[in-house]
Amino acid sequence: MTLTASDAHIIPHDSSATWLPTAAYIHIPFCRRRCYYCDFPVFVVGDRHNGASSGNIQLYIERLATEIANQINYHRPLETIFFGGGTPSLLTVAQLGQILDLLAAKFGIANDAEISMEIDPGTFDLAQLQGYLQAGVNRVSIGVQAFQDNLLQLCGRSHTVGDIYAAVDLIQQGGVTNWSLDLISGLPQQSIENWVASLESAIALKPHHISCYDLIVEAQTPFAKQYQPGDKPLPSDETTAQMYRTAQQILSGAGYAHYEISNYAKPGSQCRHNLTYWQNRPYYAFGMGAASNLENYRFTRPRKTQEYYQWIADGCNWRVDLTPAADRFLETLMLGLRLSRGVSLKSIESEFGIDRVNSLLKCLQRDRDRGWVEIVIVNDGNSRSERLCQRYLRLSDPEGLLFSNVVLTEIFSQEF
Amino acid sequence: MTNVPVSRIRNFSIIAHIDHGKSTLADRLLQDTGTVSNREMKEQFLDNMELERERGITIKLQAARMNYTALDGQEYVLNLIDTPGHVDFSYEVSRSLLACEGALLVVDASQGVEAQTLANVYLALESNLEIIPVLNKIDLPGAEPERVRAEIEEIIGLDCSGAILTSAKQGIGIQEILESVVLLVPPPRDTIDEPLRALIFDSYYDSYRGVIVYFRVMDGSVKRGDKVRLMASGKEYVIDELGILSPTQIEVDELHAGEVGYFAASIKAVGDARVGDTITLVSKPAAKPLDGYAEAKPMVFCGLFPTDADQYPELREALDKLRLNDAALQYEPETSSAMGFGFRCGFLGLLHMEIVQERLEREYDLDLITTAPSVVYRVTDNHGTQSYIDNPSTLPDPNHRQKIEEPYVKLEMITPEEYVGTLMELCQNRRGEFKDMKYLTKGRTTVIYEMPLAEVVTDFFDRMKSNTRGYASMEYQPIGYRENNLVKLDLMINGDPVDALAMIVHRDKAYNVGRAMTEKLKELIPRHQFKVPIQAAIGSKIIASENIPALRKDVLAKCYGGDISRKKKLLQKQAKGKKRMKSVGTVDVPQEAFMAVLKLNKDT
Repeated sequence: MTLTASDAHIIPHDSSATWLPTAAYIHIPFCRRRCYYCDFPVFVVGDRHNGASSGNIQLYIERLATEIANQINYHRPLETIFFGGGTPSLLTVAQLGQILDLLAAKFGIANDAEISMEIDPGTFDLAQLQGYLQAGVNRVSIGVQAFQDNLLQLCGRSHTVGDIYAAVDLIQQGGVTNWSLDLISGLPQQSIENWVASLESAIALKPHHISCYDLIVEAQTPFAKQYQPGDKPLPSDETTAQMYRTAQQILSGAGYAHYEISNYAKPGSQCRHNLTYWQNRPYYAFGMGAASNLENYRFTRPRKTQEYYQWIADGCNWRVDLTPAADRFLETLMLGLRLSRGVSLKSIESEFGIDRVNSLLKCLQRDRDRGWVEIVIVNDGNSRSERLCQRYLRLSDPEGLLFSNVVLTEIFSQEF
Repeated sequence: MTNVPVSRIRNFSIIAHIDHGKSTLADRLLQDTGTVSNREMKEQFLDNMELERERGITIKLQAARMNYTALDGQEYVLNLIDTPGHVDFSYEVSRSLLACEGALLVVDASQGVEAQTLANVYLALESNLEIIPVLNKIDLPGAEPERVRAEIEEIIGLDCSGAILTSAKQGIGIQEILESVVLLVPPPRDTIDEPLRALIFDSYYDSYRGVIVYFRVMDGSVKRGDKVRLMASGKEYVIDELGILSPTQIEVDELHAGEVGYFAASIKAVGDARVGDTITLVSKPAAKPLDGYAEAKPMVFCGLFPTDADQYPELREALDKLRLNDAALQYEPETSSAMGFGFRCGFLGLLHMEIVQERLEREYDLDLITTAPSVVYRVTDNHGTQSYIDNPSTLPDPNHRQKIEEPYVKLEMITPEEYVGTLMELCQNRRGEFKDMKYLTKGRTTVIYEMPLAEVVTDFFDRMKSNTRGYASMEYQPIGYRENNLVKLDLMINGDPVDALAMIVHRDKAYNVGRAMTEKLKELIPRHQFKVPIQAAIGSKIIASENIPALRKDVLAKCYGGDISRKKKLLQKQAKGKKRMKSVGTVDVPQEAFMAVLKLNKDT
């Protein structure tokens, strides 16, 4: 497909490489059950999903295909693709392959592209996993959450600890070369000891990447009806803050670098797709409830099936709210400060101007004084002069990261 | 010249409780007399402030002149003078009633007489007005005109056999009202030949023409170009513009006894042409002014502080502008250690206070922090010298004062019988002294208490409404000062006394108030990275304390699939809240905290 005349005007003449999207998120909204903490747009298909739900999934993929076909092409091959959910491992190999074929035909996929997929224990077998790999998947992220059956049960997970080990066996047998594992801290009845045990069990499995999410009790979830944040049986804030620090110590000790608020990786195994978000670069998104960021328009697709299908039928318009420059500045900080590297002062200066950077540094003085915010020189480039220029603004680990909302609120309450 | 004989002028007002349909009825009268065409008709023509429309109440009164050809074939001029419907403005009500010879008493036929209506009817009776009872909303299924008729007769002692049954909404009974006004309301006295005396019943500031004064000519006549004197202020002006209100302003050359109109004379602020003042001619002055002039006195005070200290000059400017149009508004600069620079402002009552705050925020785009309302205490020092204190933080120490007195009011409530118990309990908790109770009609009771004004200005009205499911109504009158065992209660945040939170309370209630305040502040003040003690103290004695535990973390673990919109909204909301906070030492205190006393859950 070539760029049509009507598309041409939206690409600035001075378009730099970073302006053009090379990342795509695909939302697969099907789950066997809904976990008690989850408020994602998902469609529950039951523990043994049958022909009827297969029909639903097939219909969804057809609509997804329409959405992909409607998308403007910026003619850059995709460098990262992320299948998130939901439970993408409820897709058949053929369905997954179909989507990847569509993306390849439409945008092209770079040879060294990172193609990630979320999978849940108990939803796939060896053949299926190998099929995904053959179709092009080269990174999987497995939703483990905890290594205690009682904790898994309390949060409505559809798998057991036994299922976790079985799934990891399959990953290792299947020859997955890059995989990640998710854990949640702050679960009901979880103790520091439980948490340490989960971290150690995770490390023993030797994943390349570990995500540790501190539980958020989202409104309108079963958890929100049952629990009050900070009150029993949820661990206290003091305990979950301690869990955060513990994770940082144990995982760093095991060679996992803390590179984002909730993410740890062995050298070279950071999730390239997620870095796109945190570096505030553009990305495509396809699927119900999925959020894209193109041409400085952020757009979240409808979170309900019928509304999403209607939106496709109406022509997939995502140019709704243009993000003003002042907001992009805030977004760049809100996302970039999630990274332990932080944000490059030079690059925000060149994008947003020296005045904004100066008032930013002024308003962060108090947080610098209390050690939450740091300015460090990072050796980014090779030449000496470049090295001198690369000053990064970042949050300290772990205290600054633990209070990141306080720092961000400070920034958001300024006029830029 | 408008050339209407005095005998064919009728001046009347409408007395009604909020929601009983006054504005709708006024609209109908304007439409049916052809004063305002259907096309021009905005809903509720007389309430021309945005705020009034939103709340469905009248704050500033207005007037309208209507021409009406009666069944006797004669053309009459009917002047409708609107009255504000709230207790805070009873002085203004009394002045506008004085400009009339008659009043329509409009009562909702499905509800009955309310306390405020009663207060205004008494004012009308005192001014010898002819009162025409009107039962409105008779089209509603719940209408009980017979019961309400009996109620009016019993409470007010007014013959209601001729009460007019109307539905302003449906246009029922409008003709009958117009005829009754012509037949029953007496024409003004024909005193055209006497020296000019005209009563100011309202005024507003217009940035092009200066103050526009609304008046009723009581005696004599006035022409454009006349040099007039305002007898109370002593100021003299030349009338540049003279006119009638129909209800839009239409210029005329002359107005005489009985007529209602407006004039403009380059008057700089409404404070120079106060409601109740008498206008006379400099060339032929009246011997004495009309009776009853009084300057409205503020009863309730609070501190107004800009959230952003840079807005202080803008706040001053906005207050200066509001005062051009609101003679009752008082203010003087105040400095608070917690809030910085602001103003101590005096208001006629709570509604007046709310209106001013809202206008400052809405029309002048200011972000304000308001301290809890206070009354004016009378303090006698050791030498026997009296002084008035409207700011609790300035109360002299106990060893420098002999006594503190506080203003009392007589509070009259009308309530369905079943709520008498809960209402009395509320009054008792608010240090009320029971005075009287009367059963008016079946199921309706009036309860009278004497109570410190301080107890009334702290959310008494809201509490009364919620305790009676909205059925009770109230009205109050100041009755002077009384000595009480009052103490100053200080609130300390992280060890720092906060002047803006200091309050004067009765010693017997100090412990409960202190405890409730510390609990409420604990709820309202966000957690900090350190433990924050909150204490209440009388002098150096701590009577209540709470701790806000330290914040251990504030982090959002995940941005789902690149969807940052929710997190961004959350941060924006927090940032907005943070902007509206004031620093007390190292503690950020949200603006609600300074009004916490109004939000105490238990009755204290």
